Amino acid sequence: MTELIANLAHGFLVSFSSINLLLCLVGALVGTLIGVLPGIGPIATIAMLLPITFGLPPVGALIMLAGIYYGAQYGGSTTAILVNIPGESSSVVTTLDGFQMARQGRAGPALAIAAIGSFFAGCVSTVLVAALGVPLTAVALKFGPAEYFSLMVLGLIFAVVLAKGSVPKAVTMVLLGLLLSMVGSDLETGAARMSFDVPELTDGIGFVNVAMGVFGFAEILRNLESPEHRDIVQQKVTGLMPTRADLIEAAPAIGRGTVLGSILGILPGGGAVIASFAAYTFEKRIAKDPSRFGRGAIEGVASPESANNAAAQTSFIPLLTLGIPPNAVMALMVGAMTIHGIVPGPQVMTKQPDLFWGMVTSMWTGNLMLLIINLPLVGVWVRLLRVPYRHLFPAILIFCCIGVYSINNAPFDVAVTGIFALFGYWLVKHDFEPAPMLLGLILGPMLEENLRRAMLIARGDPTVFIDYTNHKISLGLLVVAATLLVLAVLPTIRKRREEVFIE
Amino acid sequence: MRQEGSKRMADGVEPAVNAPPHGGRLIRNPRDFWGGVTLVAIAAVALWASSDLPGMRGIAFGPGTAPRLFATVLAVLGGLVAVQGCLTNGPALERYAIRGPIFVVGSIFAFAATIRPLGLVISSFVTLMIAAAATPDMRWRESAVVCAALTAFCALLFPYVLNLPMQMWPNWLRF
Repeated sequence: MTELIANLAHGFLVSFSSINLLLCLVGALVGTLIGVLPGIGPIATIAMLLPITFGLPPVGALIMLAGIYYGAQYGGSTTAILVNIPGESSSVVTTLDGFQMARQGRAGPALAIAAIGSFFAGCVSTVLVAALGVPLTAVALKFGPAEYFSLMVLGLIFAVVLAKGSVPKAVTMVLLGLLLSMVGSDLETGAARMSFDVPELTDGIGFVNVAMGVFGFAEILRNLESPEHRDIVQQKVTGLMPTRADLIEAAPAIGRGTVLGSILGILPGGGAVIASFAAYTFEKRIAKDPSRFGRGAIEGVASPESANNAAAQTSFIPLLTLGIPPNAVMALMVGAMTIHGIVPGPQVMTKQPDLFWGMVTSMWTGNLMLLIINLPLVGVWVRLLRVPYRHLFPAILIFCCIGVYSINNAPFDVAVTGIFALFGYWLVKHDFEPAPMLLGLILGPMLEENLRRAMLIARGDPTVFIDYTNHKISLGLLVVAATLLVLAVLPTIRKRREEVFIE
Repeated sequence: MRQEGSKRMADGVEPAVNAPPHGGRLIRNPRDFWGGVTLVAIAAVALWASSDLPGMRGIAFGPGTAPRLFATVLAVLGGLVAVQGCLTNGPALERYAIRGPIFVVGSIFAFAATIRPLGLVISSFVTLMIAAAATPDMRWRESAVVCAALTAFCALLFPYVLNLPMQMWPNWLRF
């Protein structure tokens, strides 16, 4: 316990330095600014803003990126409440009750309760990240290649199970991502693989390019299809503060959302989206009068908003301790860390305590800033939302193009992004979920490396992964993965799963 | 997204009502079928592209082992998805928009092609104008003003505020 406090104190020293506070503030502000725009989720926001952190020292850059992430998430909720358009997928459920509240003239309390819920969840999950950091790192240091491989398989299976749509289709997406990750030079021999003699392809297909194409640009293509319809709350947002009754009603929901979100965030493949869905469904199920939901129930805003923020933060746990990104946003964080020369994994905490604890504590400061800056700025966001989409999307597009270009100063990267935009559009048309593909793409190199190493150490014996005597952990992880997969395809569970996604 | 969900629910609950009778038709879920077929094709390309890479060397994986392994599994599962598309009912293929994708992707390619030779200012403006043409409700003069303003914003933001080294103008315009 004292160690925990000492660590947190160390972290706060780092994150409270004026420069880091400023970076966190700027990140949260810019993140919200972009996140508010309809149709831009955290993935596109982070990918777009990644270049602005290049010139910063690593700690500052990551603190800023984390701020951007929370900002984007909160911006999405603002859009959901005010316009009935989810700014991103984790705030889909917030539109259900949030927009109804706004219609009833209670946009202020809805926004406030979302912010308060997020802040509370942020406080709890910051402590959770700090508390779980040390023991999990200790576990991670015992992991060998076989365990790492099995853990990643489990992560990918989680991504499959938690993706919406059919299980076999999600598995094909993971495999496609793995295949894409193998384009380029082989890690061990340096041989060019599947690069069709294109020199640019020997460096591999950049994760940011794929993410930007599939999530950013394909989304623009989708939005252009449907005629513009925005139902902005017309009346001025007044009376921000929720009443006592609101707070009493929302408080338990915030607590439940936080717990649920924290758990789902740690699970690989989970993250903010699934957390908010699950929290909403749960609230509805335990409510005395479920019919209130969808008509402006404050719990319907409080719980999913707390859950998605808690999950957003606890999903840093697998990344910071095991070095494995549990979802696409964290995969982008890996990209950012690599650019700054940091290899994510258990060694970060011991070798770069400033970075580790600074980042953990900056989660708390970031949330505090969101609480402070967002409520007064609601008017600005509303004005931003009045900008017609026909002016908005060229701006988004050019920022993305310049962002992608500036990572390597490579026009080729921009062209790749264009191709993946078309591919992402195609995926949507055929009901394929792109998130598992991205996870496959980012985990691919690690997965292959550990697979090859494990096989080599075991002298080519593939049973090493399920060896009870020497690799209990690996066996356990694979058993869990197999069980999950079987459960997901079983008809009864499948029905329940579809229900959750339909809510 | 919400609409998508509810639509899918309708599909799941009453496919027989929504979809036309499928008496003799082979492809009952064209989205899954063509999706699966395309994935098989992609897997085939991957298998072909990695066919020249050395495979297992004794107990060690060669560079070609993993790609071929994953491509094979992808082919099998893609085939499975396609077969499922023949056995279950599903929604018809969605229509593809033409204008949006052509102009949006065209503008991305235009940026890629012009950023090096023409510099940030010209390239941004060209990209923005092409992109703006992606909606039918675009008005030329209005868009030109907006795009010019955005170009100016980009030209200030990226090189000066964010300090990213970028060429602003084409070489032949330098003095």
